[in-house]
Amino acid sequence: MSPRASAAIIRHEFRVMFSDPSTLVFLLFMPLLMVALMRQLFAGALAAEGFPGANGSEFAVPGMAVAFAAFSVSYAGFTFFRDHGWGTWDRLRAAPLSSVELIAGKVVPTVAVTVAQLALLFLLGGPLFGFRVAGSVFAIGLVVVVLALSLSAFGMAVTALARTMQQLNAIGTVGGFGMAMLGGAWVPVSAMPGWAQAVAPAMPTYWAMKAFRAVVLDGGGVPDVVVPVLVMAGFGVAFTLLAAAKFRLEDSKAYYG
Amino acid sequence: MLHIEGLRKAYGDVVALRGVDLDVAPGEIVSLLGPNGAGKTTLVSIVAGLRRTDAGIVEVDGIDARERSVEVRRRIGLAPQDLGIYPVVSVRRNLLLFGRLVGLGQRELRSRIEEVAEALGITGLLDRQGGTLSGGQKRRLHTAIALLNRPPLLLLDEATTGADVETRAQILELVRGLAADGSAVLYSTHYLQEVEDLSASVVLLDEGRVIARGGVKELIAAHADPVVELTFDGEVPPVAASGGATVEGRRLRLATTDPASTLTAVLPQLPPGSLDSVEIVRPSLEAVYLALTGRRYQEADQEAEHVSPS
Repeated sequence: MSPRASAAIIRHEFRVMFSDPSTLVFLLFMPLLMVALMRQLFAGALAAEGFPGANGSEFAVPGMAVAFAAFSVSYAGFTFFRDHGWGTWDRLRAAPLSSVELIAGKVVPTVAVTVAQLALLFLLGGPLFGFRVAGSVFAIGLVVVVLALSLSAFGMAVTALARTMQQLNAIGTVGGFGMAMLGGAWVPVSAMPGWAQAVAPAMPTYWAMKAFRAVVLDGGGVPDVVVPVLVMAGFGVAFTLLAAAKFRLEDSKAYYG
Repeated sequence: MLHIEGLRKAYGDVVALRGVDLDVAPGEIVSLLGPNGAGKTTLVSIVAGLRRTDAGIVEVDGIDARERSVEVRRRIGLAPQDLGIYPVVSVRRNLLLFGRLVGLGQRELRSRIEEVAEALGITGLLDRQGGTLSGGQKRRLHTAIALLNRPPLLLLDEATTGADVETRAQILELVRGLAADGSAVLYSTHYLQEVEDLSASVVLLDEGRVIARGGVKELIAAHADPVVELTFDGEVPPVAASGGATVEGRRLRLATTDPASTLTAVLPQLPPGSLDSVEIVRPSLEAVYLALTGRRYQEADQEAEHVSPS
């Protein structure tokens, strides 16, 4: 296996991505706007939970970060469907590289964008919204990376199952949005109805929010996020296994239709 | 360079290849000819490693394509039937990506891009975005990508589909040049005229079977007498004729070495007003196909378009 081939595809994917940056702009800057709009709503909720000095960004920043990261599920699949639409998928497959090199070349940029999206929100949260992390910044970084990997794996599983772009959009967007919602990214889990609270732990996003809360509000460190990180990693492995079982390089994907 | 033996492939109940044998030597152009749906694209896709076989052997340069797929693909240049270029990056960026994927180093890649661009007349377009090119220009870029690694085996699947006259001539000239330089070329097409223009060896594929192979002249000499085809307004009337006579619908076909004498003998036998048209099909690959399958090539092509995508 040669990393050169994957590196060439990764560079190319970024080039294609930046040729029309509208999706990136949406993914990177919409969460900032949402934090600005929703932060005040969460200040009261956090005060009621025993954080009187909180300004709301302690929930809104990680919440919107997770919510918008979930949109990357569709984006991961889109990069495959797009190549089918352009007729370049068969060209890539006919090149002398292994399937692992090919898939790595396609997935790494999505993971990188998700990490960048999450990191940007956490970095800008301080100067823009007074967001402060009470605990370990390294622990936040760990959660960010594992969450991005887990969501991208979910994106690959959706890509493996979807035959058309419409299916990808339906499963990816609705699935990603639902995952974020039920995981407590939009509304704190404690404020959700009982049935939703029961379902929440089945979402990787729930464990991400739990880990962020432990660090941001409770001042936790790496030991405090080990369990959530392991659970998210478990989701990632399960999604990867599903993708590996269902993904066929030779399957045709309809870009339209 | 390419050895195929007993190749079989089915898509569910649809059998695409029914035991195909084929060899292409270095420096040889073999034209895979057949109407749409004959199995040409399936065959090319299997050689390129894009589809799996159900049975049979595919070897490139003595290497088993199933066992050592990556090594085989290193020796292949493929221009698939459907255009495959990135429309949102430049022509040069398209070539750079695929050049890197075939393992060319930076310096070699730059000079190779200049060479293939020159050969296909796209030097002036290198900094244009792929999506802004005309259809013919896109076809040239599409073909250029297949040439980057100086492939010992070049697979061109319907390489001139949708190409303008100039692009078509350029691609055919290029194919002849590559073969002269020692590349083995498998050139799939459904244009009979292209095969005759290329002076290629012909493998005639029909419904997943090889029905004839050889040089154009040998095939014509072996299989094709001129055919007189009479089309009637209604039912074909009984006609006494020497040689082979076949009836298909409202058409009567008479294989003959002397079309003029045959017509002179047959026309007086016909009821007045029954004849709609007369055509003499001269000895050609078209006549070979007709002699071997009992169907006109163009009709088979059009029928297949409604039935099968391969």
